[in-house]
Amino acid sequence: MAKPLIVARDLSIIYNKGKSNEFKALQNVNTDIYEGEYIILFGPSGCGKSTLMYSIQGSLPPGEGTLLIRGDDVYSYPPSERVYFQRYVMGIIFQSFNLIPSLSVLDNVALPMIFCNTDKTTRNRRAQSLLDRFGVGHVSHKIPAMLSGGQQQRVSVARSMVNDPKILLADEPTGNLDSVSTQQVMDKIDEINTFDRRTIIMVSHNAAHLSYAHRVYYLKDGFIVREVVNPQRKQIKPVREGETIVTELEQLARLFPYDSVETLRVKSMVNFLTQDYTFEQLSRIERAIGLFIQGRIDRDNFIKGLVLPAERGGVGVSEQEARAMATTTQKMIDRSTDIKRFRARKENDNIFFSQHKLAERMRDHLVQEFRIKLTKEQDEHLVEMIADRVTGVVTESEMNERLAKGVRAGGLALSEKEADTMTRYFEKIIAQGVDVSYKN
Amino acid sequence: MFITNPLRTWLTILGMGVGTGAVVVLVGLGFGLQQIILEQIVFGETLLSLGVSSTGAQGLRLTPETVVGFEAKEPVLDAAPLVRFPALVTYKGLTGNVFVQGVEPPYLRYAGVTAEAGTVFTDDDAGDTSSIMLSPAVLKLFGIADEDVPNFIGQKVSLRLLVPANDGTDNVNEIPIDKEYTVRGITKEQGVLNVMMMLPELRNYVAITEYERIQVRVDSNENLPLVEKELIEEGYRVTALSKTVEQASKIFQGIQIVLATFGGIALIVSAIGMFNTMTVTLLERTKEIGIMRTIGASPNDVKYLFVSESIVVGFLGGVSGIVMGLAIGITVNLFLNFIAGQFGGQAVKLFSFPLDFLAFIAIFSAAVGYLTGVFPARRASKLNPLDAIRYE
Repeated sequence: MAKPLIVARDLSIIYNKGKSNEFKALQNVNTDIYEGEYIILFGPSGCGKSTLMYSIQGSLPPGEGTLLIRGDDVYSYPPSERVYFQRYVMGIIFQSFNLIPSLSVLDNVALPMIFCNTDKTTRNRRAQSLLDRFGVGHVSHKIPAMLSGGQQQRVSVARSMVNDPKILLADEPTGNLDSVSTQQVMDKIDEINTFDRRTIIMVSHNAAHLSYAHRVYYLKDGFIVREVVNPQRKQIKPVREGETIVTELEQLARLFPYDSVETLRVKSMVNFLTQDYTFEQLSRIERAIGLFIQGRIDRDNFIKGLVLPAERGGVGVSEQEARAMATTTQKMIDRSTDIKRFRARKENDNIFFSQHKLAERMRDHLVQEFRIKLTKEQDEHLVEMIADRVTGVVTESEMNERLAKGVRAGGLALSEKEADTMTRYFEKIIAQGVDVSYKN
Repeated sequence: MFITNPLRTWLTILGMGVGTGAVVVLVGLGFGLQQIILEQIVFGETLLSLGVSSTGAQGLRLTPETVVGFEAKEPVLDAAPLVRFPALVTYKGLTGNVFVQGVEPPYLRYAGVTAEAGTVFTDDDAGDTSSIMLSPAVLKLFGIADEDVPNFIGQKVSLRLLVPANDGTDNVNEIPIDKEYTVRGITKEQGVLNVMMMLPELRNYVAITEYERIQVRVDSNENLPLVEKELIEEGYRVTALSKTVEQASKIFQGIQIVLATFGGIALIVSAIGMFNTMTVTLLERTKEIGIMRTIGASPNDVKYLFVSESIVVGFLGGVSGIVMGLAIGITVNLFLNFIAGQFGGQAVKLFSFPLDFLAFIAIFSAAVGYLTGVFPARRASKLNPLDAIRYE
């Protein structure tokens, strides 16, 4: 069995020990990290994830417990050897890039090699090739301030790799980046893990990154509260049979990274009680409906995707069911366009197409859908209610109430249950149709 | 440092420059003054000779035999005597009391006699019978203005010697010399009324049995004190010009020290300024230090970085100070010489900058740079990298 690269046993780090502002940043942490693993330390601010990372980096001596890296206690090294360790074993990336503003990009990357007394030609050649690899070779002569955040972070990835370290540490490397740059940087770090086979320890609180990791350690208030294995990646850490099993909880943890184990258990139970579909199926249906709503797949492909068995990437529902889903979805999307137009009219009066007409059309749809017969008076009331609801004059519950009210009181005199169903249905259409984007 | 904050760096260098510049100017002035004095009195042979005269006691007399006796001593190369008689000098009907000094040309060399105008007797003039040198005071006696001194060369004067009668009385025999002498040079001796002529010429008129003074030329500097001691033990009074020079040097060293102290104060002020800058730089670069530490710089790397920077700043300050000092010194000198030229004075080099002194200043300023850098550097190297990296 392979030996772990990093072993922490009962590791505690206490800031300002013995003073009034004593703070236990890490308590009784036990971790085993294996060579080639991609580990994410996940948790809210102040949970101690960065503390753990910097302790592994060799800058923060453990207060209690042991921390062994490659079987050695780094903190027992004499200073010169610890520097050697930090140079050749550890590479580091920061959230705020931490490039030196007065040096060119090339010199920034070559800087760690300067401390190793590498000669200038080798230094520049290696730095340039790394910059090329990470897609920032063309800006090597500029100073960091002239680069975008994404470029700067890729420069600092290049810098962390310049001495070919065994372990790459990343302290929220995408915390300051936009989504496109985040993707680029995450891909590069993933590449370093899968292609260069480097061990990666990343501190993050972005749940979207968790799927990159082999394992995720969840930290809270200085404790590791959970270790989640990513079932999608082949594990490097040897799993002894029966000791740890991959359960639905792991899957749920990736869907709801901020929830505690207890909440996840509840979720699992509720899902079983209320739904016919598993979480896996649900997330696939979600994906399919998403594409369908955006119009990126047509009805036939949508049905095909739903019918396809789970092993082949589909959802595995019956064709009949799939068709029913497609029809309902289609219908609701179509109706939702009326909501859209209605609300658009609200802003610029259009003489060709009055709001009243739209409201009437929606009324007709509801009448048809629920197969109800209405008197002329009820008819008018419903149109009025629809208009009020869509313009936002009344809330969902007010509309529900009015539906159940007597005709004299301006209602429809529906039964409670009928009113509930109609409200719910109509609300779904509104949800599809209403434009929630921010307007000035 | 030059990139991130060029203005502050150059101002620091300027501060150091002004400090070292002050030292350079003031010490240069000290050197210059010393050199002026030494140039006036120091001649190679003069420093290696002793002036011997009789104390009047013990009946010691300086006779031709004494001269021979001195010359017989091992370290003594030569001995040149001087004889002196009172005399009357007459120029265009004006007559005054003077002393006639009869010397041989070597004496002039050993005693360091130089001419203010005209020429000094040389070895070739040993047999000269027609020319004399006068001291400036004699000219004053004749009512010659200072600016007319050079014109007096070539004038003729006549002499009458007053020789003590050798009969035990205080009577004086007046021996007129029946010819006129040409004035060939004016000496620089101040405050004495001297007429200098060649000893053989003087012998033509009086018999010389006793000398006033003998200049003894010693072969080397090491033997000088030995001979001096020996002569003193024999009962002579000995004066050495080298002693005078030494004393003058000491005085000027004192002056130099005073000047250097003032310069040093300026230097200390600028060094404190530089120390301040280095400390501020340390604070400003704390984050940078943290970054470097986490990407593999050792504490020594950080220390080295700081110290080398401050040495560079100190050294550049020193160099700019030297340039400034030289510029000021040379300008002031030119200006003074220009003024002196306007008033008919002699051009002098008031400032002097020996090369090794400048080299010392350059090295010294680098050393000051090192000292001001070493403390912030030590602090920088002891920073906790994690605290440093979070420093904004």
